Amino acid sequence: MAHQEALTVVCPVDATKADALQACLEGMRPDPGHNATLPFGLLPGCHFGRLLILPATQDLQGQTLDAHLVMLIDCDGSAQDMLEKLVATAGAGIDAVFGHCRDYPRSPAGAAERLAYLQGHRAPTPANYVHRPGRTVEQIRNEAKLRDALQAFVDANDFSSSTAQDVRRRILDFVAREASLQWALQPPPSIGIARRALDLVDLVARPLGVVAFGPVVLPAAALLMLLVRLQEMRDRSEHLRPSPEHVRRLSELEDFVAHNGFTAAGLVKRGWVRQAVLATVLPLIGWGTRHLFTRDSLAGVKSIHFARWIPLEGGRRVVFASNYDGSLESYNNDFIDLVSWGLNLVFSNGEGYPPTRWLLFGGATYEQEFKDFLRRHQLPTTVWYSAYPHLSAVNIERNAKLRAGLQGEMSEEEAQRWLRLL
Amino acid sequence: MATIALRDVPALLRRKHQEIRRRLQPVRQPSQIESEDVQGLVFRGYGGLPHCRYVLLQVRDAAEARHWLAALVERISRGTPASREQAIHLAFTYRGLLALGLPAKTAQGFSAEFIAGMVGPHRSRFLGDVGESDPKHWSWGGPNNPALHALLILYAPSEAKLRALYEAEREAWSREGLVDVHTLHTSPLSEREHFGFVDGISQPAIEGYHKAPSGLHLVRAGEFVLGYPNEYGLYTARPLVDSSVPAAAAHLPSDIAGSTQRDFGRNGTYLVMRQLRQDVVAFRATLERLTQNPDGSSNPEEKARLAAQMVGRWPSGAPLITSPWQDDAGKAKDNEFRYHHEDPEGLLCPIGAHVRRANPRDALAPEPGTEKSLAVNRRHRILRRGRLYGSELPEGAVDDAERGLIFVALNANIVRQFEFIQHSWLMDPRFNGLYGASDPITGGLDDNAFSAPGNPLRARCTGLPRFVSVAGGAYFFMPGIRALRFLSELSPSSQES
Repeated sequence: MAHQEALTVVCPVDATKADALQACLEGMRPDPGHNATLPFGLLPGCHFGRLLILPATQDLQGQTLDAHLVMLIDCDGSAQDMLEKLVATAGAGIDAVFGHCRDYPRSPAGAAERLAYLQGHRAPTPANYVHRPGRTVEQIRNEAKLRDALQAFVDANDFSSSTAQDVRRRILDFVAREASLQWALQPPPSIGIARRALDLVDLVARPLGVVAFGPVVLPAAALLMLLVRLQEMRDRSEHLRPSPEHVRRLSELEDFVAHNGFTAAGLVKRGWVRQAVLATVLPLIGWGTRHLFTRDSLAGVKSIHFARWIPLEGGRRVVFASNYDGSLESYNNDFIDLVSWGLNLVFSNGEGYPPTRWLLFGGATYEQEFKDFLRRHQLPTTVWYSAYPHLSAVNIERNAKLRAGLQGEMSEEEAQRWLRLL
Repeated sequence: MATIALRDVPALLRRKHQEIRRRLQPVRQPSQIESEDVQGLVFRGYGGLPHCRYVLLQVRDAAEARHWLAALVERISRGTPASREQAIHLAFTYRGLLALGLPAKTAQGFSAEFIAGMVGPHRSRFLGDVGESDPKHWSWGGPNNPALHALLILYAPSEAKLRALYEAEREAWSREGLVDVHTLHTSPLSEREHFGFVDGISQPAIEGYHKAPSGLHLVRAGEFVLGYPNEYGLYTARPLVDSSVPAAAAHLPSDIAGSTQRDFGRNGTYLVMRQLRQDVVAFRATLERLTQNPDGSSNPEEKARLAAQMVGRWPSGAPLITSPWQDDAGKAKDNEFRYHHEDPEGLLCPIGAHVRRANPRDALAPEPGTEKSLAVNRRHRILRRGRLYGSELPEGAVDDAERGLIFVALNANIVRQFEFIQHSWLMDPRFNGLYGASDPITGGLDDNAFSAPGNPLRARCTGLPRFVSVAGGAYFFMPGIRALRFLSELSPSSQES
């Protein structure tokens, strides 16, 4: 089984073609999975895909930051492989989309040139959250089919006088008989040995690095914290509300299926202190999401499938993108109630964020100011694709447990608990 | 600039401290509610005044309407002890407030949901107002209905007195620049809603006004009335008025959060109103179909049991948590129960039962069964003040009329309270780990499912139709008494301010 990677491609938009690009994306929007241009649904192993425009803006020094086309894919296996699949599948569709970018080759000769262009515009993703590393699109979809089949099986039979163990035995027989379900009797393959070795190295190496350079790193971190605190006292934020027009543009893309795509971009506060904080915090989050938050929960939030933080333009802008279950309101409430510290860690380096104390406190706990800040910085995710639009992260987790329960022996009590997954 | 001079630090600290205190310092102490300035509907549902009528009005002449309002204010019921003879309440839509001349700058301080209103492509999708509940079919509040400006609610102890009250009020509004565009008649107050269940049992208690037996239902005043600390210890955004606007300084309280502006929102609340049509025949027929004996005969016991599981309470109101096996009128008002420790898996009261979805108490993340879960729950409570309409349908009788509930909810933050409950708890087919199961009573799916956990297997019903559809709705703001006086004294020039 493959691990998951985040593919991030960011390309500067030719200003004269910005409107045409938006129109091109709008054309793909009704059918992100199977449109003729860039069909995310035809890419095996693509969990989520999106295309959107990061608009041009002025940074805090008054310099212009160009508009960029952003393509994000959460995929099984390596992002490089996904890029190759994309080029092979979309073909001239790549030209149709990325041809609006400033430096796209005039008339690309073919796959190699397209691939080279996209490769050249890959952006590093220092922090990436995966709901359950190792769980592939195929597994998620198959386990949902398994659930449907088991539901239908138990509905079609009378088990009123059976024990839970009897029911389970009959279910096991049923799965063994059904050719289309027999795969479920095997546990899902685990992540490849090579990747696990890399994970292990990363797990150890980064803390070791901190320890090795401890005499330098720790005082530096303490000093940085102090400087941040002083800046926090000077920072000004104002409670501004998003415009109704902005909210309308965003909400017309929301709440069609089990989850939504969220994309937001913000300017980083001026000065090297905030740059240094982000350069520290993003790899730290990256380490945490890779090694600690790997079991269906991002620090207590169970409704996020994937999330990533992408610093751009020399760290002057940061993009945050996620795929979350339910409504934006409930997503925000989870943030505030469960992980305000985690959001503050990154977002408080952004201009206009509600006041924080010591980087962790305050901030997101100022409910309305925080919600309005996020909304104001949110971008329309014009093209957004999900490989399993009817499943919440909790649904997926329960389906995996259902399949896992086909293994081994169970006591009556264990069997009862397992059957309650249905 | 990353550097700051060290000598600036004390001044910075002081300034920062003041700013945060003024704007953002969470307030933990309870505050006394100015109940004489709050419309009394916040505190009571008028059980002693069983007859009620909702009148939807439109302003035709602003100056005359303000004159009407100036006199009406004195008749409006407040939070102080209620009259036994009548009660009158008044609320406005966003357009209604603008029509009366509220400065646009002030009106922009209302919440986005109130400004946008209940009708719009996204909001309809969000609230489940699709199909037969689509606002284009509504009898009021929809795009094909006249614009709504105000809601006048009248209560009286008898039908005759209600009629007299209505006539007297109609005389006043029609003489002074308003027309009634729709009237909703209700049926005399009855304990049981049309599906046969006692309704409205669980209501939050307002801190600083009500007494509550435990912390389970005690909610901070700012969740229901603007201008008081909410469950975050913060002040929900309020519409403010420049002190320079004539009549503002005379009537409106100052902004509690410390700005120099006057607070138009203080002691006001948002009123959500929806006409929910109940399909009693479909409800009964579906229960019958799902519980028939193999020989096709009716099984009344199973039918009552399934209905109770779908609701989460028995017809008397007795909750399944404290009375799992049969109805028990002695437990009809039980409301201090919780879910997590008593019934984590929904074996007594199904996870998908209506009352367990509408108010999950301690059942949800972050830590079910703890104060942390209750703290989250308190941020999603509403005061329910609805009344029934249409006649009761006796079992087996021919259905010849429309019936249902005029749902009325009061809250300070529509999106976090009413809309969140409606969308994320009641409608979401994936609520709390469920799979394709919207609320069995009010859910928005045409092909709904419902499961009651059991041993060895759950009992699962599929193909449930919608039993409740929406026939009208709007968001209103119910201002405090002083704010109403201020409105009545607005001059046309105020709008420029």
